[in-house]
Amino acid sequence: MSHEENVTVSKLVHDARSPLNRISMNAEMIKLVLENDMPKEKGLQALDKIIKACQECSQTLQTISQEFGDK
Amino acid sequence: MLNVLLVDDDLEFAEVASNIIEFLGHQVSIANSLKEACEWTDSQPFDHILLDFMLPDGSGLHLVDRLEKNNSAAHITFITGHPSVKGILAGISGPKVDYLVKPLQREDIEQALSRKSKKSKASKGSIVKRHFGCLIGESAAMQELYLMIERVAKTSANVMLMGNSGVGKEVVASAIHQASQVEGQLVATNCGALSKDLIGSELFGHEKGAFTGAVAKKDGVFERAENGTLFLDEVTEMPIDMQPNLLRVLESKKVIRVGGVKEIPVNCRVVSATNRSMESIAKDNVLREDIYFRLAVFPISIPALCERKEDIPLLAQAFLEELNTENDCNYEWTSAQLDKLSNFDWPGNVRELRHAVHRAFIMSDPATKNIQLPSSFQSPFSLAKKANQGVSAGQTIENVEKELIRITLEKVEGNKTAAADMLGISTKTLYNRLHAYGDFEE
Repeated sequence: MSHEENVTVSKLVHDARSPLNRISMNAEMIKLVLENDMPKEKGLQALDKIIKACQECSQTLQTISQEFGDK
Repeated sequence: MLNVLLVDDDLEFAEVASNIIEFLGHQVSIANSLKEACEWTDSQPFDHILLDFMLPDGSGLHLVDRLEKNNSAAHITFITGHPSVKGILAGISGPKVDYLVKPLQREDIEQALSRKSKKSKASKGSIVKRHFGCLIGESAAMQELYLMIERVAKTSANVMLMGNSGVGKEVVASAIHQASQVEGQLVATNCGALSKDLIGSELFGHEKGAFTGAVAKKDGVFERAENGTLFLDEVTEMPIDMQPNLLRVLESKKVIRVGGVKEIPVNCRVVSATNRSMESIAKDNVLREDIYFRLAVFPISIPALCERKEDIPLLAQAFLEELNTENDCNYEWTSAQLDKLSNFDWPGNVRELRHAVHRAFIMSDPATKNIQLPSSFQSPFSLAKKANQGVSAGQTIENVEKELIRITLEKVEGNKTAAADMLGISTKTLYNRLHAYGDFEE
């Protein structure tokens, strides 16, 4: 893999890691809601954000697959 | 409680992470760019900065440079999504700088803020339930309090918390903030701790050059609590001549900074607290009537610990778990020790109980799992309070007699012959009375 390709992969992996980070923190938020009897709306909001972040992550992985899958 | 600045250009991550940091009991401000971060650090000191390595307008390292030049005491934790950056950060990590790699977990943030090494998973779980993330207790009095917090959280009404010193008024304010699910932060200030000259600047902010020493513009607590909660502790200790200024803000929902002319709209729930009783507030003329009705739209009385003794074992367990986690220990209570804690009156309330648990923790032998309770829990303040209690109308003769015997026994350090002499009764009669009450048995 060339240097340019390495840079592109690094950027795409970074882009995939950002939604993963949101997924992780929103999951922690849901744990807090369940452990502490907090309003369930807060948990539902976090779940919606997780679903959205999963789709973003999937799109980035799709880009990686399209750009580097055949190589 | 730490004053934390979270710097990250991922708005959604910053929002959820700030909720978690607030839940951990810290005050948090958010910056989404290097420029915003510099503005925050120029306007106030922070204890800890969680800093994204790559920001849209520069590297987080620029902020580190700036803080070093300003001799800032802030501890910095870099957050990076680039594992390759880890190596560079490891190079600059020192006692005041460390790093975390995304994706983050709550435990990572907890460790970074406590600056402790990773704890074993086994020590993390708590058997004590925390309502709204911070309140402990399952007694009827606390259930009633939780219900009130839930109800008022759905409104924007101002709340006045009343309760004796040490009952946990700030914790209840935090619970109200948590339950309200508001976007803004919880900002706390103690009205009793501010000098008359500074209170205006603290509450309403000041413009640059407003007075000697006002070298920069400062936001007041009303502005900092925008869309959040402002906690005014010891509100009844605020100088009475400053109260009209506060009233004007509460009524108009606009502040004018000291030395400024512009009216700035503010929107926050005000939770105030006092350890004075309703009678004392009215009688001692410590709070203007018009302010009282603005602040106490929904007054909440927090029960004293002696009114919810069944919660003492839960609180003691929670405090011990915290100390075990902080110090990597594994002490446990025996049921006899929890009974002993429950039988004391704790005139200093939860604060005094926490102090007693901490003291016992320090005194305990690290070679064993047993915690060592002192023979007496008395503090100088609890002794003073007891001495002041005296006899009041409505007490039963039995209770007065019991209290008299208890105080006398304390005075003579448990010597029953000396106590009987002092009380003017025979030792046999004293033993009979003690046997009848049963409470004094060790």
